[in-house]
Amino acid sequence: MAFDDTTRAARAPRLSMRTRRALWVWAFLALPVLFYGVIRFYPTLDAFRLSLTNWNLMSPPKFIGLQNYREMFASPDFWQVFRNTFAYLVIGTPISLVLSFTVAYFLDRIRFGHAFLRALYFLPYITTASAMAWVWRWFYQPAPTGVINSVLGALGIGGMEFLRSTTWALPSIMVTAIWAGLGFQVIIFMAGLRSIPQTYYEAARIDGVGDWAILRKITLPLLKPTTVFLVVFSSIGFLRIFDQVYNMTTNDPGGPLGTTKPLVLMIYQTAFNSYQMGAAAAQTVVLFTILLLISLLQLWILRTR
Amino acid sequence: MATIQLNKLTKAYGKAEVIHGIDLDIPDGEFVVFVGPSGCGKSTTLRMIAGLEEVSGGDITIGGRRVNEVDPKQRDIAMVFQNYAIYPHMSVRQNIAFGLYTSKLPKEEKASRVEAAAETLGLTALLERRPSALSGGQRQRVAIGRAMVRNPAAFLFDEPLSNLDAQLRAQMRIEIKALHQRLGTTIAYVTHDQVEAMTMADRIVVMRDGHILQAAPPMEIYDNPVDIFTARFIGTPSMNVFPAQQSGGVVTLAEAAPTVMAGVRPQDLKVAEPGIAPAVALEGLVTVTEPLGHETLVHFTAQGHDFIATAPGHFGALPGQTVRAEAAAGTVHLFDPKTEKAVGRA
Repeated sequence: MAFDDTTRAARAPRLSMRTRRALWVWAFLALPVLFYGVIRFYPTLDAFRLSLTNWNLMSPPKFIGLQNYREMFASPDFWQVFRNTFAYLVIGTPISLVLSFTVAYFLDRIRFGHAFLRALYFLPYITTASAMAWVWRWFYQPAPTGVINSVLGALGIGGMEFLRSTTWALPSIMVTAIWAGLGFQVIIFMAGLRSIPQTYYEAARIDGVGDWAILRKITLPLLKPTTVFLVVFSSIGFLRIFDQVYNMTTNDPGGPLGTTKPLVLMIYQTAFNSYQMGAAAAQTVVLFTILLLISLLQLWILRTR
Repeated sequence: MATIQLNKLTKAYGKAEVIHGIDLDIPDGEFVVFVGPSGCGKSTTLRMIAGLEEVSGGDITIGGRRVNEVDPKQRDIAMVFQNYAIYPHMSVRQNIAFGLYTSKLPKEEKASRVEAAAETLGLTALLERRPSALSGGQRQRVAIGRAMVRNPAAFLFDEPLSNLDAQLRAQMRIEIKALHQRLGTTIAYVTHDQVEAMTMADRIVVMRDGHILQAAPPMEIYDNPVDIFTARFIGTPSMNVFPAQQSGGVVTLAEAAPTVMAGVRPQDLKVAEPGIAPAVALEGLVTVTEPLGHETLVHFTAQGHDFIATAPGHFGALPGQTVRAEAAAGTVHLFDPKTEKAVGRA
């Protein structure tokens, strides 16, 4: 087919290829942008304004300056919740990462039953949080209902209070939360391990480097991107913990005596039990700031490599 | 310094045997190149020597010691891989020094060995760089450096130049060969590139389907290939092989009732140079010409068979023209049509 120059020129669109491409891109992006703008970004920004008001949903918000923040920082309840939230973060993240790496490291080395075990580890991740929380609640019951106490009893250890103890309730809930997220982390770690070329290990074996040195000198450094991702992901997860706590302490959410209450649960209660929207917004701003700082910190650690 | 011996070596994955009892003696200091098409078992053989693959049958001895069940690190060998296997999170210095990670040498000795290896390989200026800041050739030199510092009894190379571009490959060929001449260490080198084999080896081991077809010095293989496969695999362009009848010193292309398979290297099949009493004379239509400067490769078809012949540099024949190509007496290889083994020359 021969091209006639004049008809070609006549048919050429007025917009440049670049402009047309950009228009198409924005046409597809418009809907999500609109959705996020209205449903996500606007309320997020509005929370900053609301945090400076007194608002009970009925009457219009009244500007009260930093009153909400002053009250929050003066309240021992808030600091209890603050400590709880960081306990989830500081204990939960390292334990879950060490556990999931260990599982992934060894699971990666076996062939027999590999797929089955992997599925088993992943199962909790796809289970409804509330159903799981209830099962664990049962585990923690006194003997003979509770499996754990029955086993402890058989070993001669007296009944543990678990969820009813101000000392043990938080760790007990944390176990559930770690268990729930473990499968996902195992899968991601295994993908990371698989992406390390085998020849790195073969070269090390020929050089006579032992398993422990290979792990420290080769595997862990090369796994760093995966690890950083999981640290960020898991940290955010523990900072936002809610489901497990709420469902395992339904009689007194965040109890006993607020010893398991995380920030998100406090926000929920302030907003939807007490209808103090302004105070809840102030707590949200605090959570937002913490999440932002921790994420930025972790991104900075990633960038130094 | 060590000799390597393979004795009836076999390798099987489950029931599938991929190496069928090969025998080979590599004397101390020899540069031996395993060559063959992919899947011929050359890499598997090398990995068994390295201890990365288990031996299914037969023996491997290094320096007179049977090493079948010996850990890779105790075999006193060093290996260089196709993808270099240098660690992206370590500097060049750390990578080279990693070869001495388990060594009990004093710190100063380790450092001076790293410096010496870097000096030899021209890496001194790059010692503090990360691998990502190096070219492919430099990375491969780092990998060689890591192998060198250990002062091993033998070097194993597994297609070390396959990831490099043609120009770098030619350069690294020379560097590795020069390195061998300087160090005098036994080298077992695997490649699928017959040019690498020809240019570097003291001895070439041609493998196919888990068997060794021929193990001999490069020119010996080039001049006296034991069978059609070896004849066509070594030398470029490939040898022309065609069914023929032989009477006296003359070989004629014969589709019907051939008595031999005849092979003529393109370099021996000359266009436009009529000789006296040629062993083979062929006439056909030119399909393609490839001018290389100093000579021209002429592709032509005779009786339905494709041939490559050589002509002088400024050869002007066009596709479709008839050419006559001749091979002098003594340059035609003869093979048994059934067994494909070499039976002599004409």
